[in-house]
Parts: sequence; C-alpha cells; structure tokens
Amino acid sequence: MTEDRREFPFLPVFLVGGVALFAFYQVRAALTPFLLAAAFAYVLNPIVTYFEARGLRRFHLVLCGYLGALILAVVAYAGLKTVILEETETLQVRAPAYFQQLQKTAYAQKVLLTEKLPLPAKISEHALESALGGALHTLQELPAHVLALLPLLAHALLIPFIGFFFLLDGPGGVGGLIQACPSRLVEQAIHLLSEIDTALGNYLRGLIIVATVIFIISFLGLLALGVDNALIIAAVSAVSSVVPYFGLVMGIVVGGAMAFYQFGAPMAAVKVAVLFLAIRGLEETLIQPIIARHSLHMHAMTNLLVLILGGEMFGFLGLVFAVPAAGILKALVSVTWSWYTSERGLISATAEGAGVPYT
Amino acid sequence: MSALKTLKRWFIDPQFARKKQFLRSLDIFKDLRDRELGHLVQALHSRSYREGEVIFVEGDIGRALFILEAGEVELTRPGAGGKPVVLYHLKPGDFFGEMALLESLPRTATATATEKTHLHLLYKSKLDSLLNGEPRIGVNIMSHLARLLSARLRRLSSDSKLASSKND
Repeated sequence: MTEDRREFPFLPVFLVGGVALFAFYQVRAALTPFLLAAAFAYVLNPIVTYFEARGLRRFHLVLCGYLGALILAVVAYAGLKTVILEETETLQVRAPAYFQQLQKTAYAQKVLLTEKLPLPAKISEHALESALGGALHTLQELPAHVLALLPLLAHALLIPFIGFFFLLDGPGGVGGLIQACPSRLVEQAIHLLSEIDTALGNYLRGLIIVATVIFIISFLGLLALGVDNALIIAAVSAVSSVVPYFGLVMGIVVGGAMAFYQFGAPMAAVKVAVLFLAIRGLEETLIQPIIARHSLHMHAMTNLLVLILGGEMFGFLGLVFAVPAAGILKALVSVTWSWYTSERGLISATAEGAGVPYT
Repeated sequence: MSALKTLKRWFIDPQFARKKQFLRSLDIFKDLRDRELGHLVQALHSRSYREGEVIFVEGDIGRALFILEAGEVELTRPGAGGKPVVLYHLKPGDFFGEMALLESLPRTATATATEKTHLHLLYKSKLDSLLNGEPRIGVNIMSHLARLLSARLRRLSSDSKLASSKND
C-alpha cells in the first residue's frame, strides 16, 4: 500500500503553466470580459463570505446583493441624474475648445520664451518646438487615450452578468480544482492557491480603496474650487489610479486644463494641481500604510518594468493587471523555492530551548 | 411565525449548518462560538478520497491538518522487510497531520484511505490568518495542539522510564 516518495513535478507544472499562458495570450481579446468579471467577483467575494459565515445561502446572498445594488444604482442615478446630464452636455460642448485653448496658450508661451532665451533664434525655436511639440502631442492624444477606455464600458453590463456566476460559484471552483488535483499534491496545491490569494486579493482590494478615496476627495475638492465637471474629472482620476501614478497625472492634466479654460488663469490650474498632489500625499501617508502591509512588496523599479511590459503586451488591461500578475509570478517563485528547500532538507527546524529536558 | 421559519429555512444553508455541527462535535473546536465556527468552515478545504488512495507518504513535507469527517484512514510505517505496519486506524471525528501546523517537516507515517473517505484540510497559512483575524479560533487550536504535544511527551517520558526500569 505504501508508495515510493516522489518529488513535486516542477518541470511538468512549469511546462503546462507556460503553455496555458501562451494560449491565454493568443485569445486575450475574447477573455477580457471574463478576466474583468473574475476580478470583479474576486473583489466582492469577501462581502459574500462575511454573510456566508453566518450560515446564509450564497445564492440568496448574491441575488439579494445584486437586487440591492440595482436599487441603489437607480436611486443614485435619480439623485445625480441632473448633475450627470449637465456635466456630460457641458463636456461635449467644451472639450474641443479646452484643448484648442491649451494649444494656443502653449504656443503663445513658446513665442515668448523664444524671444527671451539668450540663444540664437533658430536653436531656441527648435529646442522649444521639440519640447513643447512633444508635450502638446501628448496632450492632444489624451482624449484619445480616455476614449480608448470606452470599449471597456461596453463590458459594463457583461462584467456584472458574468461576475454573478463567478460569485455564485465562489470557493466551489477552488474546491473542484483541489478535488481534481492528484491526492499527493493537494497540500502543495493549497499552498500555491493560498499564496496567490494573499498576494492578489490584498492588492486588488487596496486598489479599490485607493480609487474610492481619490474619487470622493477629488470630487469634494474640485467642487470647493468651483471647477466644472468635477464628477467627471474625479471619476477619470479614480479610474486611472488603478495604474500607478496615472490617476495623479490624469487628475492634474484634465482637471488643470478644465480649470484653466474655465477661469482663464494659470493659478486655477495650479490650485487643481496642488489639490491632486495633496490627495497623492494623503494617499501616501494615510492610506498606503494601512494597505501596505498587505501589498505585494515589490521594488519601485520592478513595478515600473512590469507596467511597461504589461502595457506593451496587453494595452490598458496590461497596465491594470501587470502588477497583480507579477505578484502571482512572485508567489509562484516563492512557493517553488519553499518546496525545493523543504524537499532538499535545506530548512532546519530547531526551536530555541529544545535541548532543555522535559519537566 | 411559520412565515418567519420558512424565510429562515430559505436563507439558511443546510450544508454549511451540517459542517458547523460536525466541527462543533469535535473536542478541538467545542469551545468555539457559532460565528467562529462559521469562519472555520470557510477556512477549511474539503476533499473526497477513493478506497486505497494515498493521502500522504512518509517523508512528504506536511503542510496541513486533516480532519476525518467520513470513512476510515490508516496510518502505516514500513516495518521489517519493507512491509507496512499499521500504526493506527482513524475514525470519523479524528484528526491527523497536526504537527504540520507548527512546522513544515517530513511526515512520519503514510496515510491511506481504506474506504471512501471525506476529509477537511486546514492549511497552515489559513491558521495563521485565523490567528490574526479571529484570534479565539487560532488560540483554541494552538492550545489544543500544545496540550496534545505535552500529553505525547509525558507518555514518551513515562514509556522510556518504564523501559529503563525493566532493563535495570
């Protein structure tokens, strides 16, 4: 009945994982709504499990939660309908003018600087042309970047729909995986799932907390400054904050441009920039320490590298999921190392005081 | 009143209640409150094993505690000539592999399901989460493990005393 001791099949697991990743990359576009729905369900799951721990049926909890969210959304829309419609109309009318105005101001500054710089006219003009031209080009492309997010909105209904089924299934999916796993590898499989869950769950929940805080504070701050389209600017900044540093940049650029156009004074844009920098400071000093203990603990340069790689390979979604995917990879490596060291007996497990006789 | 009962029945998960009832019946969890048992049920992973299926082999690195809900598990160790010697037969309500919760070291025996068996697994990191998030559950388990360890040490100590007195 006794089996020979076998080591964990590292190589086949890595090969299967690699093939699965390649297949995923090939069909990434079709999988986008499923991936987003899985993330959506994953973030909401703790709320369901909180009530489930009290013995309530998951199906009824999810159903009641969806009905409650629907009623809340209808009520919120009824309450904010005027604001949303007003802001959308204003934005539709003013958006092209905002960027035209910005372009004009930038070129006016360019002329002024060309005259004042103690350089030959052609050189200073060329230097400023390339510097300002690049910046203006980026600014002109910003609306296109924002519009590029719109296809994601097409999934706005599909994501909660698919997410409903993910939420219903809940830990059932994990249970199925464990049941399908060869019995000798069950403990290792749970180890891996547990590490991934810790890394991924905390990161995604941290993102939601940060985005919500940015939305509320920037909305109130912009209202206090009297900037038009406060709701839209706050929403853009909050949604962009899922990509590290992008929320701050979007808040300053979009909010600053709107404030500048609305008040016609650079000081208004500076105030908006100060507001978003203050929010960033608040996030760094108050919110991050709370969620940092659950973060992925990755070096800033590693973060930057995976963001560039993610953006290059998968576009906007790559930017959003690059850091958590790196977290999963890190968990995988750490678990593999832990298995390797324990299988090879490289870990000694002696406790201090073990030599004292039992009394 | 009956409408309230019907509504309660509609909302309460009978499977979840059954699992809680099972855990409450175990000595190790008997002092836990209802809500804590709910958290514990969520922390456990369940798996069914076929007759003759090996759960773990002596020398495998242990990472979880196993709680036997249904079926039978046999603990064996190779004897003279490599033939397995049965150390213990585990019945529903028993648990084994508990030392994995303290340290990830090689298992000291092989566990095999001798009939269709259903087990609950408590993984070490889940216990660590419980120790942080629900300290009463974690402390309960740890204190039970400490008592178990102490009892085994005492037995070992008295066994060795008995052996040495016989030798004298």
